[in-house]
Amino acid sequence: MSESCYHCGDDVIGKGYSLGDKKFCCNGCKSVYQLLHENGLNSFYAMEEQAGVKPKSSDVHRYDFLDLPAIRERYIDFEDENSVHVKLFLPAIHCSSCIYLLENIHKIEPRILSCQTNFTERTATIAFKKSFPFPELALLLDRIGYPPNFEEKKEVNKSIDKTFLYQMGVAGFAFGSIMLWSFPEYLGIDEAPAGFRSLTAYLSFFVSIPVLLYSARDYYMSAFKAIRYKQINIDVPITLGILALYAQSCYHIFSGLGPGYMDSFAGFIFFLLIGKWFQRKTYRSLSFDRDYASYFPVAVLRIKNEEEEIVEIEKIEEGDHLMIRNDEIVPCDVILVSDTAQIDYSFVTGESVPVTIKKGQLVYAGGRLIGAKTRFQAKSKSERSRLANLWNKSSNVSEERSISQKKWDKLSAYFLVGVIIVASIAAISWAFIDTNRIVSTVVSVLIVACPCALALSRPFTYGNTMRKMGRSGLYLQNTEVIEDINEVTDIVFDKTGTLTKGSQEKVTFEGEMLTDQEWGSVLILSNSSTHVLSRTIARWIKNKNLSIDSNVEVENYNESVGQGIEGQVSDQHIKIGSAKFMGLDAQDGTFISINGEVRGKFMFASELRDGLESMMADLTSNYTVHVLSGDSEKDAQMMQEAFPSLENCLFKQSPEDKFAYTQQLQEQGKHVMMIGDGLNDSGALAKADVGIAISEDVFQFSPNSNGILEANKLHKLTSILVTSNFAKTVLRICLAFSIFYNIVGLGFAITGNLTPLVAAVLMPISSISIVIISTVFIHFRK
Amino acid sequence: MGIIYLMLIVSLIIALFFLVSFLWATKNGQFEDDHTPSIRILFDDENNEQPNYLEDDGSTKV
Repeated sequence: MSESCYHCGDDVIGKGYSLGDKKFCCNGCKSVYQLLHENGLNSFYAMEEQAGVKPKSSDVHRYDFLDLPAIRERYIDFEDENSVHVKLFLPAIHCSSCIYLLENIHKIEPRILSCQTNFTERTATIAFKKSFPFPELALLLDRIGYPPNFEEKKEVNKSIDKTFLYQMGVAGFAFGSIMLWSFPEYLGIDEAPAGFRSLTAYLSFFVSIPVLLYSARDYYMSAFKAIRYKQINIDVPITLGILALYAQSCYHIFSGLGPGYMDSFAGFIFFLLIGKWFQRKTYRSLSFDRDYASYFPVAVLRIKNEEEEIVEIEKIEEGDHLMIRNDEIVPCDVILVSDTAQIDYSFVTGESVPVTIKKGQLVYAGGRLIGAKTRFQAKSKSERSRLANLWNKSSNVSEERSISQKKWDKLSAYFLVGVIIVASIAAISWAFIDTNRIVSTVVSVLIVACPCALALSRPFTYGNTMRKMGRSGLYLQNTEVIEDINEVTDIVFDKTGTLTKGSQEKVTFEGEMLTDQEWGSVLILSNSSTHVLSRTIARWIKNKNLSIDSNVEVENYNESVGQGIEGQVSDQHIKIGSAKFMGLDAQDGTFISINGEVRGKFMFASELRDGLESMMADLTSNYTVHVLSGDSEKDAQMMQEAFPSLENCLFKQSPEDKFAYTQQLQEQGKHVMMIGDGLNDSGALAKADVGIAISEDVFQFSPNSNGILEANKLHKLTSILVTSNFAKTVLRICLAFSIFYNIVGLGFAITGNLTPLVAAVLMPISSISIVIISTVFIHFRK
Repeated sequence: MGIIYLMLIVSLIIALFFLVSFLWATKNGQFEDDHTPSIRILFDDENNEQPNYLEDDGSTKV
């Protein structure tokens, strides 16, 4: 029955805003619609319904810092006499309509020359005339609902990606060409003239030189590095194998024995590179390793000699007076100089209801100011704020991890030892039979033992698993995280914002019930405010399905920031707000008074996310589950009722406590998975073996972590963990297959029967079957 | 049998042609964004001067 906004699709509460027959939830959405409509961009709505992003009303000076030369330089790619080129990160891009709108933005602002979006990276490359100021461009994007994110310094290293593609191209070219030329050999056609055969052999040799020197060079480098640190990794046996293969082939070619194994050689490298490429394709638009600075604004207003000036946040000194505007993040620990302020700590704690701060009180960095411009005094430099300290403390510990990598290296070492033993046995045996063939047999053993299939099984199994998890809503930083997940024994949850929803949507009303008509008046008043609690109250009253005449206007409307709202609806004077606003003694709750008489109060509580009860029951049977909450114990009973199997539930945990708790578990030899959402969890997230950040919008905000989980998919955690465990089984199957192929190959090699033809058949079959096994198993399992 | 030498050379030239085009395409960023162009191609070509295919309320006829 409720209508939804034509622009953004949110519920229209109360009368809303209308234009013609179209309804909007807020003035912002309506003005974006008008702007698009006037400029002939209506296809925006035709492509995907309600595709819009609700714009936030922001200050016109919000982007003024882009005029500072030092900052401007940071974001501009290229500039000439007429035009400026920038690449901006617009995390709000989410559908094809967004691309349409952004790429037609020149119709709205003719001074923009062109705009090209990249959906995967959520970026837009924009060229505009020099006469168009950069801050205005940012403001225009903000107004239509795509605020650029300047805090995040996204440096996607393109040159490495490209080198990789070049390497693959060269190897693929060599592989295809040599196979074509080797066809007579495969078919056993001996009639080809000797001149032709040696010509193809020499051509193969030339074509494979760039493969040896260019395409495969990363393997030598990695192997060399490992040996220098007296370690063995998978690249050591690979390098040994491909060098043996190449040397043997050159010997064959130059002594006129035939074309050698150049086809297998190029094929090896090609398949290995494909495996690496598959593993590297990750979620480029998401950030997992963030610097604490990426949460803070780039610049702030500083007051010097009673004049406002814009400075970069690095230049803030202790004692500076700062002006923070509505919706800006406090960049360092500060003391409030103005009388009161509303601070939303949702980034820090996950709790979205704002806190009221009084003059002289401390505000921690990371809080977001709500309300009018407010003056603060800096108490520390930004990099010395409490959050930054916590962040730095935790980032030091995250170096030593990846137990799985070590396991894998150990396996490689065993493998190498095995190969050397087999090669020695073969050499000794042949010493009794035919001493001339010792060298060629040993080389054959090295060739066939090259763990190509082994090296492919991990990237493909885990790469496929990672993609599958992505479809379930968990985005991992890289494939190694899957191995870490499988080691986990303990799962630690944060409560606020993780297990519970960030907003406090559970409403209870205490006091005498109002009449329908009175509820109607309260609804109409609360509709006039955009405050979180007013909207929650409005939604709660709407859900009562009363017959309400919504065509009444509010008169004498007044909103006292941080206190409450009041207004005249028909003949009633209604006030909604805190106890202080009503003139009562300080107490919790939001009160309602009609014509001066207090009628009751609303209490708000956060609600658990859906489906968690059964998830928790499943989890506690396989893992030890802990819940750490920064709140007081008021929700203890709710937690106990919802999760009867939960044993470890601690309250009043500071960020440092959470970090210490995780560390303590690890010292007991446990492998910990931490699941949290706010900056206050960032220490524990980084310390844990696996840190998973919960986020309502995966592109917007999350602390540094190994993976980001969509908030509404948290109940799927159990099935995600099962998928992860299944990957281990699939990997074992793949390993068994690749070892089977190696044994078959060794059989040929030891008996001296490893002809180029056998190698050319065995190599692709083993590699391709591994790819097929891992893909089929992972994808066709429900 | 001489024809086989010619074919050998032709095959090498064709393969080289494809290799060079691949490298060129990579260099020009053809593989940097493999999603957006697939959406972009679905947009109608719009011409500001002649909005005659727009209905009164401005929505595009389907």
